[in-house]
This record gives sequence, C-alpha cells and structure tokens, in this order.
Amino acid sequence: MIRDITIGQYLPGNSVLHRLDARMKAVLTFFFIIVIFLCKNFWSLGLMIAFTLLFTAISKVPLRMMLKSLKPIFVILIFTAVLNIFYTDGGRELFGFWKLSVTDKGLYTAGFMVIRIICLITGSSLLTYTTTPTLLTDAIERLLSPLKVFKIQVNTLAMMMTLALRFIPTLIEETDRIMNAQKARGADLESGGFIKRAKALIPILIPLFVSAFRRAYELAFAMECRCYRGGEGRTRMKQMKLKARDLGAAFLVAALFCGVFFLNYRFKALI
Amino acid sequence: MAPVIKTVNLTHLYGEKTLFEVTAIINVSIEIEKGEFVGIIGHTGSGKSTLIQHFNGLLKPNSGKVLLDGKDIWESRESVRSARFKVGLCFQYPEYQLFEETVYKDIAFGPKNMGLGDDEINTRVRRAAGYVGLSGEQLEKSPFDLSGGEKRRAAIAGVMAMEPEVLVLDEPTAGLDPRGRDTVLGLIKEYREQTGSTVILVSHSMDDVARLASKALVLNKSEVAMFGPVDEVFSHGRELMKMGLNVPEVTRIFMGLRDRGLPVSTSVYTCEQGRRELLRLSGEVSP
Ligand SMILES: Nc1ncnc2c1ncn2[C@@H]1O[C@H](COP(=O)(O)OP(=O)(O)O)[C@@H](O)[C@H]1O
Ligand SMILES: [Mg+2]
Repeated sequence: MIRDITIGQYLPGNSVLHRLDARMKAVLTFFFIIVIFLCKNFWSLGLMIAFTLLFTAISKVPLRMMLKSLKPIFVILIFTAVLNIFYTDGGRELFGFWKLSVTDKGLYTAGFMVIRIICLITGSSLLTYTTTPTLLTDAIERLLSPLKVFKIQVNTLAMMMTLALRFIPTLIEETDRIMNAQKARGADLESGGFIKRAKALIPILIPLFVSAFRRAYELAFAMECRCYRGGEGRTRMKQMKLKARDLGAAFLVAALFCGVFFLNYRFKALI
Repeated sequence: MAPVIKTVNLTHLYGEKTLFEVTAIINVSIEIEKGEFVGIIGHTGSGKSTLIQHFNGLLKPNSGKVLLDGKDIWESRESVRSARFKVGLCFQYPEYQLFEETVYKDIAFGPKNMGLGDDEINTRVRRAAGYVGLSGEQLEKSPFDLSGGEKRRAAIAGVMAMEPEVLVLDEPTAGLDPRGRDTVLGLIKEYREQTGSTVILVSHSMDDVARLASKALVLNKSEVAMFGPVDEVFSHGRELMKMGLNVPEVTRIFMGLRDRGLPVSTSVYTCEQGRRELLRLSGEVSP
C-alpha cells in the first residue's frame, strides 16, 4: 500500500531519451513546457500533441505507466474542464439551463486546457521516467552553477536534494516495516475515529523519526570519513559531455518551437 | 489433534501485475504441530520472512490457505485479529519498534492492545521481563537508554508478553556479538521449556538451528526444499551446501573426516554428538 507512492520514479531503460544528456533533457523539458503555453489554436496544439506522442514513443515508456502518472491529476482535469465550460464568456450558445450556459467557446477552452495539462504532465513525467534522480540533481546543479556569483551554495543544495531523493524509498520501506512490527503487537491502525487514529500513529512515527535521525548521523559520519567537507572544489567522477544525439534533440524541440509559431501566425487564434 | 499451523499451497507475490513483480514463496504446504521447535533456514531472499508474515495474517496469500488450529485465518476480520495474538511475531531487528517512554510501557503495548486489565498486564510484563532477564530497574528506564543487546531483549519481551500460542522470531540474533547471541538463544530455549509453547525460529545460522530446533524447514528459491527432523535434514549436507547453505561446523568436520577415509557418521550436527562419535571411533580403532 504505502509502497504504491512513487515520486520522481525512474523506469530503467536504454532508449535514446534515457541516454540523452540530463542537462539537455532538463533544459529541453523546460522549453517544451513553454511551447505548450504558446499554442494559440488547434493546429499548433495538434502539432504539440504529435510531438508529445513522438517523444513518448521514443522513450519506450509503456503507455500504462504514462496513464498512471496522469491518474493523480484526474480530479484537477475534470475540475478545469467544468470551470472552463461554464465560466467562459462570449461565443455562440449551444444549450443552457438554469443560470448556466454552454457556449462553443467554453467547450473549446475546456478542451484546450485539458490537453495542455495532459501534455504538461506527460512531458515532465518523461523527464523523471528516463532520468535517474541522481543524474537529474547533478544536471540541476550544473545548470544552476552560475548562481555561485550570488554566493548561493549550489553544490550543497544539490547534495541535499540528492540525499533526500535517495532516502525516500528507504524511509517508505522503513515505515512499512515498523507498521508491520506494531501490527504484529496488535496495533489497530484501521478503526476508530480521527483522534484514535492519530494516536495510533505515535507507535509508528516515533521509531520512524528515531531511525531517520540515526541514519542521518551515520551518513554524515560516513561522508566525513571519506573527506567530504562541502562542495567547494570537488571534481566529478562522471563527466557530462554533449553528443550528437543531444543536438538532435535540441533541433527537434527547436523545430517544434518554429512549427508552433508558424501555425499560430498562419491560422486564426482561438483564445 | 489438528496442527497449530498448517499451510496449503501457499503462494505469495509482491507487486502483483506490475513491472516489479517478485515471487516470494511458491506452493508452501507444511504442518507445524503443537509444542514443536521449528527452525526455518534458507539463503537471503529465499522467502523466510514472507512465509512467517502469513502465520499471523500480516500478509494475505495470493493463493492457498493458512490454517490456525484448523481454521482459515482469512475467514473474517475477527479471525485475522485473533491470529495476531495467537501467533506472536518478532521481526528482524525488533529494537527499531521500541517507542514508549519506559521499557515497561513498551512491553505492555501488546497486552494493552489485547484489552487486558491492568493487573493482568502487570503480571505479564514482569513475567516477560523475567524470561529475557531485564531487572525491575531497567523496566523504568527509557528504551533508548538501553544497550543494543538489552534493547533487543526488551523488544522480544514485548512479543512474549502477549503470551502467544506460537512464538515466531525472525533472525533474533542478527547483528549481535557472540555473547549477545548466546544470551538470546538461551532465553528462547528457556522460554520454551517454561511455557511449552510452539516456537519458530528463522535463522541463517545452521549451528543455532541444530542446537535448538527439533525440526528444520529449508527454503530454497521460494520453495520448500526440505522439511523434517533436524538430524534428517542435516544428513543431506551436500545438498544443503549446493543451495549455498552452510551445514553446522561440526558436520563439516565430520564430512571432511569421511572424505579422508575414516568410517564416521556424517549425521553429526552438535558438538556433543561429535564427541560421542569420536569416542565410538577411537574405541573401534584402538580397543
Ligand atoms: N515488501 C516487499 N516488496 C517487494 N518485494 C519484496 C518485499 N519483501 C520481500 N521481497 C522480495 O521477496 C523475496 C523474499 O524475501 P524475504 O521473504 O524477505 O526473504 P528472506 O527473509 O528469506 O531473506 C526477495 O526476493 C525479496 O526481494
Ligand atoms: Mg528476512
């Protein structure tokens, strides 16, 4: 049950998307998301959908996993759609009841918004599905390294992020274990009112905190033993180098950018 | 008389129908009689922990059944709950489950969940503390102030205080020093002699199982490889070694002697038996 939580989950694979330079992927995902909001009519949106499908196909991430990443935002999608259908002004009225009216413009806007959100989630899930958390933080660190001029300790921030991500599965596993151990002693986590349930969490939270602190101390100790003393001047074991495929990917996204601009200009804007 | 625990074609998968499906145990059918001391051995990942979590209904079988005193655990909500108290399960590294302000309160957690009265709880906590050798003074300490070995014993007492019909311990000696190990094994032995309850001990130390258990269950790659009296199981020394398991050290010595041409029995698995076998042999060789 608690294991079903998946954050920034990575799906091992060997597609071109998996092998792209993480920095390039992060930057391109950023631009990809910007393009989503530049689409002004159904032609450019269509192009956007085509590219989203193309990237999903290249990544070889099973469609089932893609749908799974959309599941948590299902409610948001419905909510967005309903709001847009009923609260868009103008356009031709199709049918109406009570004080509400549904216009063609309302329907268009709703469809537009829903598709945009789906593309947004799909695009960003592709990044986390094809990049290990470590590589991703590594990439973010390098992309943010210019901030050093403002005396921001980018390496420390990145190390913190890496460690946090690294310990999510460990802590989930630990929670599972402690819950089982207390259940074996007859702890009842499922019945009773709010207060009773909140109280029932104490036997789980205390050991969990104790073990989290213990792990933090042990890790800090181990890092110090290996001479870690903050990020300054550290070199890397894995060098990141841009390859031809990274330029290819950049080219694809640039093409998408131009295509969307062209279609926006060529056809009438809807919203 | 019906066996205390009986499993019928028990199979368990983790993450069924996902990309990460793992088969943990397949078709386990065993019977454990009242009062037996069963040792469960097997390589890491062979499914030992998964199997024992079925005995008290923490895990639900994907197929097959678990019967407690002849009744299916998963019959109703109540039967699952009563299984929790009938079969006391002590996890690996149980000291990480301690949470109360005092050791006393922590040991009392299980009995309290059973809905017992204060007097009964008090007797049970003191009795359990006695089994594991914790003094009245230690009972008033914070569990986080105990030493590693004491923490472990306090946690074991927390399960014993529920006075379950069957006590299941998952690698209770893991990570302890030799003295701590001997203490824990000794107290388990004593507990069984005093209460006469059924005990199931998961261990990957063959020596521990040989020393304490009456029967041994060997798991290999999620399946039951052997289940029988300890001497019978250890007489299949070579097969055990093929599964990557160590036979007790004495047994290995006798297997070596046999290979060098001495007419010794290889179903020796405790030091005492080894001594007798050597005496028998010396009597034979030089009368
Ligand atoms: N909670 C879990 N989720 C997924 N797989 C698990 C889980 N627990 C155990 N496994 C897997 O099930 C198999 C059996 O594990 P386990 O019963 O813990 O073996 P043992 O206790 O003999 O080391 C292993 O392959 C392990 O990786
Ligand atoms: Mg185990």
